[in-house]
Amino acid sequence: MSSVAISEPVIDELRAIVGPTYVLTSKTARYNRTRVPAPFPVHRWSEFLPDIVVLPETTEQVSEVVKLANRLKIPVVPRAGGTGLADGAVPLRGGILVDIKRMDKILEIDLDNRTVTLQPGINMLKLNEEILKYGVFYPDDPASYPCSLVGGRIGTSGFSLIAGRYGHTRDLVISMQVVLPTGEIIEVGDGGGRKIRKSSTGFHLKHLFMGHQGTLGICTEATLELVPRPEAEFAAFFGYKDFESAYRSTGALTKSGLATLASVVLFDERKIQYLRRDDEAYIPQPRNLKSVIAVSMYGAVDEVKPAGRRLMQIAKDTGGKYLGDEVSQGDWASRHDRYATPLHGRLLDRRVVPMCWHCEDASINYSNIPNVMREWHEIADRYIKKYGIFDDWGCFFYTNAAYKPWGDYLSEIDIGIWEQKLNDKTWKAWVNCKREITEVTLKYNGSITACHGSTREGDAEYVPEEMGGGFEVMKRIKRVLDPNNIMNPGKNMLDNAYEED
Amino acid sequence: MFGFQLKGQRPPKPRRVKEGVVMRFDHVYEIDPDRMSIIKQQEMPVWDTQRIIANRWEHLSWMHNHFADSVISGEELEKEIEESKKKIRTTKKSTSRRKKR
Amino acid sequence: MSDDLQQKFVKKWLDNAYGCFSSGHKFCREVCPVMQVTRNENHSPTAFHANIVAMNNNGLTVADVAEDYVNCTLCGACELRCPNTLFTGDFYRNRTETVKVVKAMRALSVKSGVEQPNWKRWVEATIDKKSEPVLDVPIDQDRVADWAKELDLPIGGETILFCDCEAAFYRTSVPKATAMVLKRAGFKFGLMKEQWCCGGPAAEMGYVEQAREFAEHNLSDWRAVGAKRIITLDPHDYITFTEDYPAYFKNGYDMEIVHITELVAELIKEKKLRLKKPVKRVVTYHDPCRLNKRKGIYESPREILRSIPGLTFKDVDHVTQWSYCSGAGGGFAVERPQIAEEISRRRMSRAAELDVDILVSACVWSERPLTARGKELDSKIEVRDLMELVAEAAGLDYGGVKT
Ligand SMILES: Cc1cc2nc3c(=O)[nH]c(=O)nc-3n(C[C@H](O)[C@H](O)[C@H](O)COP(=O)(O)OP(=O)(O)OC[C@H]3O[C@@H](n4cnc5c(N)ncnc54)[C@H](O)[C@@H]3O)c2cc1C
Ligand code: SF4
Ligand code: SF4
Repeated sequence: MSSVAISEPVIDELRAIVGPTYVLTSKTARYNRTRVPAPFPVHRWSEFLPDIVVLPETTEQVSEVVKLANRLKIPVVPRAGGTGLADGAVPLRGGILVDIKRMDKILEIDLDNRTVTLQPGINMLKLNEEILKYGVFYPDDPASYPCSLVGGRIGTSGFSLIAGRYGHTRDLVISMQVVLPTGEIIEVGDGGGRKIRKSSTGFHLKHLFMGHQGTLGICTEATLELVPRPEAEFAAFFGYKDFESAYRSTGALTKSGLATLASVVLFDERKIQYLRRDDEAYIPQPRNLKSVIAVSMYGAVDEVKPAGRRLMQIAKDTGGKYLGDEVSQGDWASRHDRYATPLHGRLLDRRVVPMCWHCEDASINYSNIPNVMREWHEIADRYIKKYGIFDDWGCFFYTNAAYKPWGDYLSEIDIGIWEQKLNDKTWKAWVNCKREITEVTLKYNGSITACHGSTREGDAEYVPEEMGGGFEVMKRIKRVLDPNNIMNPGKNMLDNAYEED
Repeated sequence: MFGFQLKGQRPPKPRRVKEGVVMRFDHVYEIDPDRMSIIKQQEMPVWDTQRIIANRWEHLSWMHNHFADSVISGEELEKEIEESKKKIRTTKKSTSRRKKR
Repeated sequence: MSDDLQQKFVKKWLDNAYGCFSSGHKFCREVCPVMQVTRNENHSPTAFHANIVAMNNNGLTVADVAEDYVNCTLCGACELRCPNTLFTGDFYRNRTETVKVVKAMRALSVKSGVEQPNWKRWVEATIDKKSEPVLDVPIDQDRVADWAKELDLPIGGETILFCDCEAAFYRTSVPKATAMVLKRAGFKFGLMKEQWCCGGPAAEMGYVEQAREFAEHNLSDWRAVGAKRIITLDPHDYITFTEDYPAYFKNGYDMEIVHITELVAELIKEKKLRLKKPVKRVVTYHDPCRLNKRKGIYESPREILRSIPGLTFKDVDHVTQWSYCSGAGGGFAVERPQIAEEISRRRMSRAAELDVDILVSACVWSERPLTARGKELDSKIEVRDLMELVAEAAGLDYGGVKT
């Protein structure tokens, strides 16, 4: 990978734009803005370093940095929380890393029109702590709720765990300000109007600037939806005698039509086996508990209580046994914390080694779940046996659609990888494993990614296949907006856009 | 008194409760130390184990409060369902009795 | 030599570093008081661990990384919030140890000759005077117990009250109020023959051998006066005596260490201390990092506040306060005064949102910076130590806040 060395005069220009304190060139500044929590070839760390890091504070500064980069054809990579699981914020060509964490101000809270306008370096949990006093809530709730930032949520077009009730990031961002790859500052929404939620004017540009992983520009401000702070939360975990019955029950629960239903999550049998190793809620569960469903509801007490009763009844009628308040409430409240626990990694002889977490996040239709799940585990098992550094942590299936939780599911197989043992050979093995998993998704007419993005090795290669004719349009858009391919180059196969003619 | 004393900080010996799981304190599961031969266990004083467990529960209830004003209990909903069924059953019974009469 | 040291260091901490590196999820970022202000990922707990992996794999050296490790108040929020501690630390008997890592890296830096100028000066002055060079006050070992002059306290005995440097020389009303409260409760205690700095700050700044000399002096003073039990009134001392001293002296360390809030809460419960004089003020409580996050002591101060008559107590729960800090700890303010100041300013503005007139703390080191920031606010907020308030409620005239 070629890297553009940045000359002293350019560094001076950057210093003039953002202030000398906020241009970082040290090794630690660069090493620590290289990776994200996804499996990482540690032995090749130095191949992914940015050349320089800037920490801007305003839209104008971002725009000036991007203009400079465009003039000199230097790659630019935006980085928000650095929690993305598809390597979006990992620089592939060096260049300038634009770290937006200092852009964390709340600019306006509009309680009449129910919006908050802010800079994208703010975290959702922190935002909600600030606005609690107004009785409102910003309900984008990924498992990374305590650590990802609004900018990264937009950059990935993320998935929220309670979207059945409140929608995902793309539904919760009303409009935003974007610095284009050429440095112009524009505003995009459904149509125009920063606080307008539904419009038929022009193209729906907001969608274009959601989930582009920094390949089309940098979001510098966003106007977000505020909902009434929920009066009541109801979470229930049900146990089943096998996956089959839990799977059927999931179908029944999601189709209940209850408006307060925020999510239904199905745990497969491998997930339960995994949880029995080390999870205080599952160690004591009886042997005949093989599969689990978690449901959650939010809303006014008057809605949630009767709806909760209805759900309990449906679960019971379809073979579910309520696991009690302690497990239900405790496990739901720990929904953010129970991923990416390295010491849950086990070798075949059951000894503990620290493993990094791969989170597959395909979107799969309900009817294809059993086949996809089976084929994924078969692939994982083969690689575990052969290489001894992988571990199968089971599958989750989360209701995927906003407001109407049925039909397709964020389908997640979690795989542990002993990063310390990665070398060229084992990394290649991992990428091959990943590709096989992706191919199963496409075979069953799924989508490669429901939330993280298609920018990591093992996914990216399949973007043209999944997008079909749409990929041609993507390339044309990319070329028009980013004539010099400076914005996060190398991602999503978009280099192809510049190879033709 | 009740203060910190080094000699009181060594945890009790573990007893096995399940394959791969041991217990030193009631209701506190720990991994079988045999499985920790590659990654070593730390010398964790008793106060630290207790601190982690207490804070975990506090954190979980904090998270509930953060997301909503109240938490609805499934156990209570189950009871309500049972009771309303009983009611339906008794009303059914009384109607059938009435019919008989 | 320095290479050797670095290798040894990496070997010791690499597994813990990988525990973080292979998670990399940064649940620690938004609770970190320094990160909240600087927003610079170099200062994140994640980076503190990743650097060690980079030292192992990618040729980074202690000289490359040392300066970043200054940016930490050792408040403990990150390692407690880390899911690898909070959710699985007890299960595996293996948790994230960021505080230890930062201290160890600072020690490695000093040993490798990479020193921070202000820390160096601070530790040299402490060695010279045997107490910390608490700013703006003349330090003279002859006056280390001046605060107790009018109290007629014995030297020695089974129980010793250890008075912190900042308390001994700057905010003398804290030890005075504390001693008067204990006496009123009929609790027997004495003072050391000659109290030296606990050594904690030197250890936190990386000067471990120097820190140990203080520890050795203090322990032998305790032994010489027949002490079995030490009462601490400052959370930093409590940490030093329950974590550093056991590490230095191993199993031979037989002192019982009791923190003042635990003791006073107990005395109130046992009705040995009666708080009868109403204190008609509106207060909130600042959870000192070292009590709340590092030691899990958050109940006893609240119990005490709830037993003070007349007080309106607007509490902010201790989990929310994981992300609060006064900025005073870990030597941070000595090297990075401006960032530390911003940290205390933010803490004070949280208090201001509650419409209180007093912020009660239980950490004497936090009280000076917080007081200064409180004075800047439109609605002036006073900062009081919990023991000062207890003395007032017990009807004791400790002479008011003295600095
Ligand atoms: C424990 C854990 C659980 C997770 N759970 C979920 C989950 O439930 N749902 C989910 O959706 N994701 C989840 N993720 C993945 C991750 O948190 C999300 O992808 C999140 O949206 C990334 O946000 P970030 O702020 O960390 O962004 P980063 O990782 O910094 O960036 C993500 C992408 O956005 C781009 N970007 C960043 N800022 C901007 C900007 N201002 N303008 C344009 N592009 C930008 C970056 O270049 C990159 O391509 C999880 C991750 C972890 C570690
Ligand atoms: S310290 Fe803990 S929370 Fe922070 S990145 Fe490391 S593992 Fe994650
Ligand atoms: S100990 Fe406190 S200041 Fe230091 S890194 Fe952790 S959270 Fe930040």
